[in-house]
Amino acid sequence: MTNPADTSANLVVALDKINKWYGAHHVLRDVSLGLGEGEKIVLCGPSGSGKSTLIRCVNALERFQEGTLTVCGTVLDGKPATLAEIRRRTGMVFQNFNLFPHLSVLDNLTIGPVYARSEPEAAAIARARELLERVRLSDQAAKFPGQLSGGQRQRVAIARSLMLKPAVMLFDEPTSALDPEMIQEVLDVMEGLARDGQSMIVVTHEMGFARRVADLVVFMDQGEIIEAAPPEDFFANPATDRARDFLGKISTTA
Amino acid sequence: MSAAIGSYATIGNDAPRRPAPHGAGRLAQLKARYFATPGTSLLTIVLGLMTAWAVVSFVRWGIIDAVWYDPTAEACKTASGACWAVITEKYRVILLGTYPYDEQWRSALIIAIWVVWAVLTAFRLFPLRMRLAGWLAVFVVTLVLMRGGVFGLSYVGTDAWGGLPLTFLVFGGTVAFGIPLAILLALGRRSPFPVVRFVSIATIEGVRGIPLLVVLFFGTLILPLFLPPQLDVDKLVRAEIGMVIFFAAYAAEVIRGGLQAVADGQDEAAKALGMGYWLRMRKIVLPQAVAIAIPALFNDIIRAFKNTTYFAILGLFDVLGATKVALDDPAWVRYGLEGYLFVFLLYFLICSGLSLYGRSLEQDHARRTRRAEQ
Repeated sequence: MTNPADTSANLVVALDKINKWYGAHHVLRDVSLGLGEGEKIVLCGPSGSGKSTLIRCVNALERFQEGTLTVCGTVLDGKPATLAEIRRRTGMVFQNFNLFPHLSVLDNLTIGPVYARSEPEAAAIARARELLERVRLSDQAAKFPGQLSGGQRQRVAIARSLMLKPAVMLFDEPTSALDPEMIQEVLDVMEGLARDGQSMIVVTHEMGFARRVADLVVFMDQGEIIEAAPPEDFFANPATDRARDFLGKISTTA
Repeated sequence: MSAAIGSYATIGNDAPRRPAPHGAGRLAQLKARYFATPGTSLLTIVLGLMTAWAVVSFVRWGIIDAVWYDPTAEACKTASGACWAVITEKYRVILLGTYPYDEQWRSALIIAIWVVWAVLTAFRLFPLRMRLAGWLAVFVVTLVLMRGGVFGLSYVGTDAWGGLPLTFLVFGGTVAFGIPLAILLALGRRSPFPVVRFVSIATIEGVRGIPLLVVLFFGTLILPLFLPPQLDVDKLVRAEIGMVIFFAAYAAEVIRGGLQAVADGQDEAAKALGMGYWLRMRKIVLPQAVAIAIPALFNDIIRAFKNTTYFAILGLFDVLGATKVALDDPAWVRYGLEGYLFVFLLYFLICSGLSLYGRSLEQDHARRTRRAEQ
């Protein structure tokens, strides 16, 4: 099977035959996947299916034993410079926000560009204020993460990742730790980003979001990709029993 | 609507918000706390009388019947109270040690500088950078004043250094060098590189397995036997190195505890922002880890202050050593209780100050991060 990643130049992310083990446990099995420029993939599947592990491989937070990861033409090869380049191209939003509690909201946004990229502080602050405006948190810049609600924290986390102008945004269950009434404000911000043409990979159980935003829904189970289809096909007509079973179980929350 | 059930809920009637009701009066509270039952009342009375007796006897001994000034120690022999005259007579030796008498203004000046800068630091009147730069200046000035040999100050060898300036210098040096070393050991113990990890673990566990006194004896008495005679490292420096390593081994474990309490997600988020190892440690992980470790770290810092008294055993005249010397005077040898009570009070005040400072740092950190995080 030839990999389209090798031929197509406008892929932002290409994973080719990724295999990963935790000890003896084979958690990713021959996973291949490509993300086109400006496109959105939603990864879904039961817990333990390997979707979080997979998305964490994309910015090399997880190591994998076999396979090739390419981000914007850079192949991960174990050199520190390549690792830095891949992290530079990817932004990551975590389930638990992972804001830095000892820094103000504004400092959370500027610390990456100022210290890791040596950007001038004034430029970083200006950009941070712009992004806070975009996630509708302009009035919270001086506060500390502990003073914000969950939804506000996650929006700050999104703005923090956007500070680095990533080619691809990775969302690892961004609404799973939120109270129900805060989920929509975060999804709204993500949908806004999607409309602006941001390339994204999103691990989520929000099937409404997948329907509205995804170009491709990828269903995983037991470390394998089981199905990959545009949302209209996937939801209307899942090809496998496992996908049908999964959709049936979560339909109450979708 | 459906069949009758026992459960029910009453719909709120939009009652106005009002302040919480006040508790019982102060007198009623006291009564409830100390005289609730005949047994409690009896206990309150008995303990109260014992406390009153202790306070009255101490006041009579320590203040009313005490001798405050008596250069010849004659009045002390007949007095029934404390002989504080031993302090008024010997305070210079206790506080300044055996430093040359005519140069003791230098020691006094050092004590003043330390106390003033400690107070300014504690109340955070200047930004952190300035406070730390100030301490560096305090160190340099202390060393220059103690040692002399420049700016027309006469030279004084370390064997004549003593009293509070020596105690401050040893303590300050232990913390200033010990904390960075402790951080390196703590990070080393978590390092993915086996050699770094092994060296860190060996240092920490090795030092923790040895009593401080053995470390100090080794540094001052044994080590010189193995070093070439040309390599003449000052005894004070050798003892100080022992103090630093001993402090660092304990503090490293405290800081490692703090590191473990910082969620992995913090490091991952910093990685995702493209930050390298030292940057992540410096800006993200260590500030949080050290803040968490402050209560236990101040435990070690206070202990480091008290451990300076070991220098008395090495024949160096820290405050305790100097007090011992002062009380060797045959005229005053009987008044050790008063002498040591004074030293006790001195240590108590300084350690309480350190303790209060640690607590204020804790509150500072809590105010910033934990508020509104319900």
